[in-house]
Amino acid sequence: MKILVPCKRVPNPDLKLKVANGSVDLAGTTWQVNPFDEYAVEAALRLTEKGKGGERVGEVVVVSIGPKDTSAQLKQLLAMGANRAILVAGDDSALDSDLVARILRAVVAAEKPDLVITGKQAVDGDDNQVGQILAASLGWPQATFLASILLAADGKSATVTREVDAGVEERRVRLPAIMTVDLRIIGKKAVRNEALAPATAEWEDTQRLASLKGIMAAKKKELREITVESLGVAGGILVKTLRHEAPPARKAGVKVASVEELVAKLHNEAKVI
Amino acid sequence: MAPIELDVSPAQVERIEAVARFARERLSPGARERDARGEFSRALWDEAARFGLAGLPIPETWGGSGLDAVETMQVVETLGRTCEDGGLVFSLCAHMFASAVPIWRSKDAKQQGLYLADIAAGSLLCANGTTEPEAGSDIYAMKATARRVGDDYILDGTKCFITNAPVADLFLIYAKTDPSAGFLGISAFLLPRATAGLRVVPEHHKSGLRTSPWGTIYLEDCKVPVTARMGPEGAGAALFGESMIWERCCLFAYYVGAMERSLRRCIEYARDRKQFGKPIGKNQSIANRIVDMKIRLETCRLLLYRAGELHRQGRRCEDAVAMCKLWISECAVASGLDAIQIFGGTGVVTDAGVDALLRDAVPAQVFSGTSEMQRMIIARTLGVG
Repeated sequence: MKILVPCKRVPNPDLKLKVANGSVDLAGTTWQVNPFDEYAVEAALRLTEKGKGGERVGEVVVVSIGPKDTSAQLKQLLAMGANRAILVAGDDSALDSDLVARILRAVVAAEKPDLVITGKQAVDGDDNQVGQILAASLGWPQATFLASILLAADGKSATVTREVDAGVEERRVRLPAIMTVDLRIIGKKAVRNEALAPATAEWEDTQRLASLKGIMAAKKKELREITVESLGVAGGILVKTLRHEAPPARKAGVKVASVEELVAKLHNEAKVI
Repeated sequence: MAPIELDVSPAQVERIEAVARFARERLSPGARERDARGEFSRALWDEAARFGLAGLPIPETWGGSGLDAVETMQVVETLGRTCEDGGLVFSLCAHMFASAVPIWRSKDAKQQGLYLADIAAGSLLCANGTTEPEAGSDIYAMKATARRVGDDYILDGTKCFITNAPVADLFLIYAKTDPSAGFLGISAFLLPRATAGLRVVPEHHKSGLRTSPWGTIYLEDCKVPVTARMGPEGAGAALFGESMIWERCCLFAYYVGAMERSLRRCIEYARDRKQFGKPIGKNQSIANRIVDMKIRLETCRLLLYRAGELHRQGRRCEDAVAMCKLWISECAVASGLDAIQIFGGTGVVTDAGVDALLRDAVPAQVFSGTSEMQRMIIARTLGVG
């Protein structure tokens, strides 16, 4: 089983965004792997684990598109356990979901994975489009917002669940497929490969972190840097960003002297009670 | 003479960031509650060990990370900045520097083969037994003996204030094989917990480092085979001395990181907290405390990495290590008091965790050689005392 996991680097979401001159100022920000993509790597690793021999069976390849220092995030994913990494040189500001999906389609054509797993969306743009566009352009089935994956023993299909408004939806999907994962995919028993792991298999109730041993092991793993041109993909984006604006500052609140005054204001002014 | 390097390499940054994230996300949650209960969590120990925190300086051959003193300090300092569970870090450091290091440095291939991989992996948790009721600073006055009887040794004695003793799987015990030989009369022994004649009594709670358990070890007619000895007879004191050099520099890196964590909190509080209509940091008396905390932090860091660099280069560093240990522990106490004063009433609310630096730092003036003993070492190198 070869699994390709597209991952995006995102600005640290805990830092306060600076918006100046119509754009977000990212100078001085720190970068990290998009959390949902980290969960996708965790899911992919689990699908290759807990077989009888204890060794990883299959290959997890992580791919990212970004500037040269995106290698720091890819190294972190190699330290988590991914087998190798591909960095497609690109400029964050010259990418949109369509171009990312076209680049990934070329990577899929070159790598020929059995399965592509990625995060449901990146926490910076929150576009939630790459997985879907990639599936459509490849003509592969897509299973999005997954809360669990059970890969069939024959490796030809998977039973997946997704949380929807009415409850939990269960579906079967043929492979090769595109899967996008949601938060619950890192639950103890959320992901399993029937060909490897027994039904009793459990993982930690969270994604693994790069350990010191993992960091040492990652130094020996391949991190290949390629260009968009080498993939035969033409640049050009469809989405034009006009400007970014910070939300208007909130007005100061009002202090009330008594419960009665509060109730009166809620009733007469806010009209919520 | 190689220069003293203070810059951090990209590979070291990668390691530091991984440690910081692991400590923040996995070790710190629940630390204040565990501290209040005086609770050591073996599950958390195992997780920290799996991450690689039980074998930092141990060579990769045995599954450690093979870090030198400076790199080890960087990791431990990072834990100080990001791990609120000071007791857990203290237990890990005691395991690594006072037990794993002497076993590694003993060059005793048999003992290393038996234990070192499991120690570096943290599946064997270690405690070292040196201090006795009547042998603290005067450590070579220890009374514990190991009498050779045929192919066995009979160990007798009491070891007190032993970090990790209630939870340890393996004990490194120092005892006299030749009471008349002073420094050269002390030998080291490795005793699994189940050894007949070895009994551990947990001690009462402590004021600081409360999540690190400690206890008293009683050795009563404790018969062990000759093969339990580590290194040749008489090598114990030298091994102990070397382990203390590692401990005095690398463990104290934790306090440098903890001082930075406390400083950041104080700065934030001094900016946010308003009295008399302005942030309290606008008062010079508060700002000056913060400045003093900053200067203490930076001087501690310089002394720390200077000692580490001398150690890494294999140069004489006993006095540099003594100054580093002494200065860091005393600065941590002073900054711990400043932090409480800046926070006022909140500073003494245990749940708020502001007092943790002080509570964890006071014992640091005592363990690994008291401040008084460090001053003696420094005085000696100056040709006085």
